[in-house]
Amino acid sequence: MKNLATLIFVFFSISIVSAQETTVKKGHYNTSKFRQLKQDLPTPNKQHTASGAPGSDYTQQKVDYVMDITLDDKNQKIIGFEKITYHNNSKDPLTYLWVQLDQNIRESHTKNDEVSTRGTRALYSPKQFSKKFLTNDFDGGFKLQEVKDSHGNDLPYKINWTMMRIDLATPIAPGSSFEFSIKWWYNINNYFIDGGRSGFELFENDGNKLYIIAQFFPRLAVYNNVEGWQNAQFWGTGEFALEFGDYTVNITTPSDHILNGTGLITNLKELITKKQYNRFLKAQKTFNKPIIIVTQEEAEKASKEFSTKTKTWTLEAKNVRDFAFSSSRKFIWDGMAVQLESKKVMAYSLYPKEGNPLWEEHSSRIIANTLKEYSKFTFDYPYPKAISVNADRQGMEYPMICWNHGRPKNNKVVSDRLKKGMIGVITHEIGHNFFPMIVNSDERKWSWMDEGINTFVEIYAEEKYDSKLFPTSKYPKNIIGYMAGNQDNLTPIMTNSEDVKQFGSNAYHKPAAGLFILRETIMGPELFDYAFKTYANRWKFKHPTPADFFRTMEDASAMDLDWFWRGWFYTTRNNDIGIKDVTSYRVTDIKTKRATELLKKYGKNIDEIPASLYLVSEKSEEYNRVSTTKKPQELKILEDYLKENNISLKDIDIPNYFYEIHFEKLGGLIMPIIVEYTFEDGTKERLQYPAQVWRKNDKEVTKVFTSSKKVVSIVVDPDQQTADVNEANNHWPKKAENRFESFKTSTIKE
Amino acid sequence: MKRQLFTLSIIFTILPLFAFGVHKYYISLTQVEYVQEKASLQIITRYFIDDLEHALEKQYTETFQLDTDFEIDSVDNYFKKYLSKNLIFNINNKKRAFHYIGKEYEDDIVYFYLEITQIDTLRLLEIRNTALFKYFPEQQNIIKTKIANKHTSFYLNKQKDKGLLKF
Repeated sequence: MKNLATLIFVFFSISIVSAQETTVKKGHYNTSKFRQLKQDLPTPNKQHTASGAPGSDYTQQKVDYVMDITLDDKNQKIIGFEKITYHNNSKDPLTYLWVQLDQNIRESHTKNDEVSTRGTRALYSPKQFSKKFLTNDFDGGFKLQEVKDSHGNDLPYKINWTMMRIDLATPIAPGSSFEFSIKWWYNINNYFIDGGRSGFELFENDGNKLYIIAQFFPRLAVYNNVEGWQNAQFWGTGEFALEFGDYTVNITTPSDHILNGTGLITNLKELITKKQYNRFLKAQKTFNKPIIIVTQEEAEKASKEFSTKTKTWTLEAKNVRDFAFSSSRKFIWDGMAVQLESKKVMAYSLYPKEGNPLWEEHSSRIIANTLKEYSKFTFDYPYPKAISVNADRQGMEYPMICWNHGRPKNNKVVSDRLKKGMIGVITHEIGHNFFPMIVNSDERKWSWMDEGINTFVEIYAEEKYDSKLFPTSKYPKNIIGYMAGNQDNLTPIMTNSEDVKQFGSNAYHKPAAGLFILRETIMGPELFDYAFKTYANRWKFKHPTPADFFRTMEDASAMDLDWFWRGWFYTTRNNDIGIKDVTSYRVTDIKTKRATELLKKYGKNIDEIPASLYLVSEKSEEYNRVSTTKKPQELKILEDYLKENNISLKDIDIPNYFYEIHFEKLGGLIMPIIVEYTFEDGTKERLQYPAQVWRKNDKEVTKVFTSSKKVVSIVVDPDQQTADVNEANNHWPKKAENRFESFKTSTIKE
Repeated sequence: MKRQLFTLSIIFTILPLFAFGVHKYYISLTQVEYVQEKASLQIITRYFIDDLEHALEKQYTETFQLDTDFEIDSVDNYFKKYLSKNLIFNINNKKRAFHYIGKEYEDDIVYFYLEITQIDTLRLLEIRNTALFKYFPEQQNIIKTKIANKHTSFYLNKQKDKGLLKF
C-alpha cells in the first residue's frame, strides 16, 4: 500500500512539474493542409453538381436585342433605341428585372469619388485642377428617354446608380418571355481625359476621332442559380456579368467611316467600294497573310472629308453575351482566314496609320495564332470572326472585338518592348473571347476566373507566336517577387474583384503561375489538358463558378488538388523549401553502436541475433572504425543471401552510398520537392517527391537516397518550377555564391 | 480587362476610375551586404526595365530604348544620375556616395551593382530608396541587408521611404 501511494505521489508530482515546464496543448480541429475543401465550397446541387459540371436543374436566361444606334460624330453622342426580349428559362417567376447602366459611373458626382481615399497630389494640370476642384465639364451617364412595354405603355423603374430595376405589373412566368424597349442617349467620353474602357481618342493633328464603343446600351443583369440577380454595382474594377442572346444592331455613322463590331455585317457590299469588297472576298480565302481591305491611302483620303452624309451598318450576332463596335475615318482594315480543326474563321484588324508599320505586319497574324492555340486548349472558336482594334492606351475585350495598344514612335521605332507589349495585349484580349466571353464566369465577383485563366493560356499562345520574346522559362518564377512581398499588401486570389490588392499580380499573374505549376509540374500536361478542356467544354456558353473549375479539374484527372486550391487560391502563403541537413551512410557488416543500443532497448544482446547489415553515419565517431571499402554485394552475409535465394544482380545499380536528406519547409504552401542529385562523375539524377510527402509533417521531412556513386551536391527545385521564394537554402553543400563579386570580377576582366 | 501601361498623362488625368495598368506588380529589390574584411558595402539593386525606362523618360525627356539595339550610349550616366538621386546611403551619420560598377539585364529586370568602400566600422546605416515612387503609386522598394551575418529586410513606400539600422 505504501509503495502504491508513493508511486501515485511520484506520478502526480511528475505531471505537475511537466505542466509547469511545457504548455499543455488543448487539442485542435483538423488543421491538415490536405483536408478537403468541402466546408469552403458551396454545397453541390442539381444545378452546379459535385463533379463540377452543370446539372440537370441548371438554368440560364436568354436575352435578345434589336437596336438602332446613331453615332453623332459632330457632338460625340450615342443615341439609341433597343427592343429587348427577355426569356425567363428559370423555374422562378420574376416580378422585376435588373438592367445595368454602366455609363452612370461617369456621372458628374459619382460614388467612385466618394469612396476614393487618395490624398492630395503634388501637382495638377490646369484641366485636372478644374475638374477636381472647380467644375466637371463632362456630363456623362445614360440619359434615359423612355422605358416602355411592347404595347407602348411606360414601365415604372427605379435607378440605383449603375443599376435600374424595372417593375412588372405581372410576373414573368417560368418559361415565358417579356418584350420591352428603352430609348436613351449619352455623351461619349474622351477616354484620355475621363478614363474608361470605351470612349474616343482625338487626333489633334487632323481633328479625327477614333471611337471604341462598349457598355453603350442598357444591358440585362444576370439572373442565375447561385446569385439570383447579379446586381452588384459597377465600381470600375469588377467587370461584367451578362446573359447570352442574339443581336441585330443597326448603326448609323458618317458615310466616310469604317466600322466593325460584334457579329457579321450583313449589308457590307452596299457600304464599301467594289474594289474594297473584292479585297474583302479575297481575304476570306487567304490563309497565309493579311489582305488589306481598306488601304492606308483610302483611309487618309477619308480622314480629310468629314462627310455630313450618313450610312447604316447592320450587324447580326448569335449567342453572344455583349455587343461592342469601333468606328473611325482613320481606319485601315485588313483580314485573313484562319483554319481551325473543324472550321474556318476570320481575323480582322482595324488601325489608324499611326499603328504602322507594326500593325499591318502583326495584328491579324497574332489573332490567327491566338485563335488556333486557344482552340487547342478548349474548343474550336465558335464565332465567325475576331477583330483587333488599335486604340492607344487600351487593352479591353468584348465578344469578337477588342481594343489594343501599341503605336510605334513616329511610325518608325519598333523596339522589342513595344512589339512585345503589342503581341501580349492582342493575344490577351483576343484570348478573352474564350474566357469569359464564351466560358462565361462572373467577372464582377471573380476577376481571376477570366483574367487568370486567360493569362495562363496566353503564356502558350505567345510562346508559339514568338518564342524568343516570350520564353516560357520565366514562369512561374515571374511571380516570386509578388509572393515574397509584404503580406500587408497581399490578398488571396479568392477575394472579390473590388477588394483585391495589387490587381495585376493577384488576378492575372498569380492564378496563371499557379495553373502553370499545376500543368507542368504537378499534374503533367496530359492529365491537366484533358481536365482543363473538360472544364471549358462543360461551361462554354454557361456561367461557371470557382467551385465548378476546382471540382472539374479533380473530377477529370483523379488528382486530389484541394491542398493546391486551398494554398494557392485561398491564402497568401508562399513556397520556401530548403535542405536543412544531409547525412550520408555506408553499409557494413561490423556491429555498430547504434544497432547495439537499439537492441539493448528491447532487452537483446546484439550477439544473440543473426548476422546483419548495418548503416553507419559518417557523422558518428565509429565511422572510421567500422567503415569498410567493401561494396554491399561483397559483404559475405549479403553475398550468401543473394546466392541462396538465386537473386541475380545483373542490370541492378547496386547502392553503395546512402543519404538521408532532411528537407525543411519554411513557406506555408505545400509543393512537391524537386531534387537534383549531382554525382562525382558529373552526371545528374532528378527526382520529384509528390506534394503528399508533407501530409504528416508540414515543417520537415526526411528522404533516403541511395546510389552506386558518391553524391557531391544536391539542389532543390533547380529549374525554379515551384515559385520557391528563397533560393539561398536550396543547395547542399551551401552555395557561397556572391553575385556581386562575380559581376565585379567580370567587369574588371573586360 | 486592360493591360495598359501607365503614362504620365494618365496620372495627370484622373487617376484611373477604371483599372490600373495591370501587367504586374510594382516592386524593386535592393540587397545590401557589408563585407568587413574589405571594408565594403556591396549593393545590388534591381528594377523592372519598363518601369525604370518610363521614369527615366519622364525625368530626363530622352528616349532610351533600354535593352534594345537602339539603346543610347550614354545610358549609364542617366542610370547613375537617377540612382544617386533616389538611392541614398547614410553611413555612421554621414551621407556616402556609391561607386557605380555596372548593370546587367536579365529578362524583364535590370540589376545595378554599386559599392561604397572604406567603411571600417558600421554602427549606423540608413537607406532611403525613392526610385519610381513618383510615377507608380503602388511601388514598393524592398531592402534586404546582410550585416555581420544578420539578415534584415524592410519595405519602403511613398509614405515611409527610409529605414535605419543600428549595430
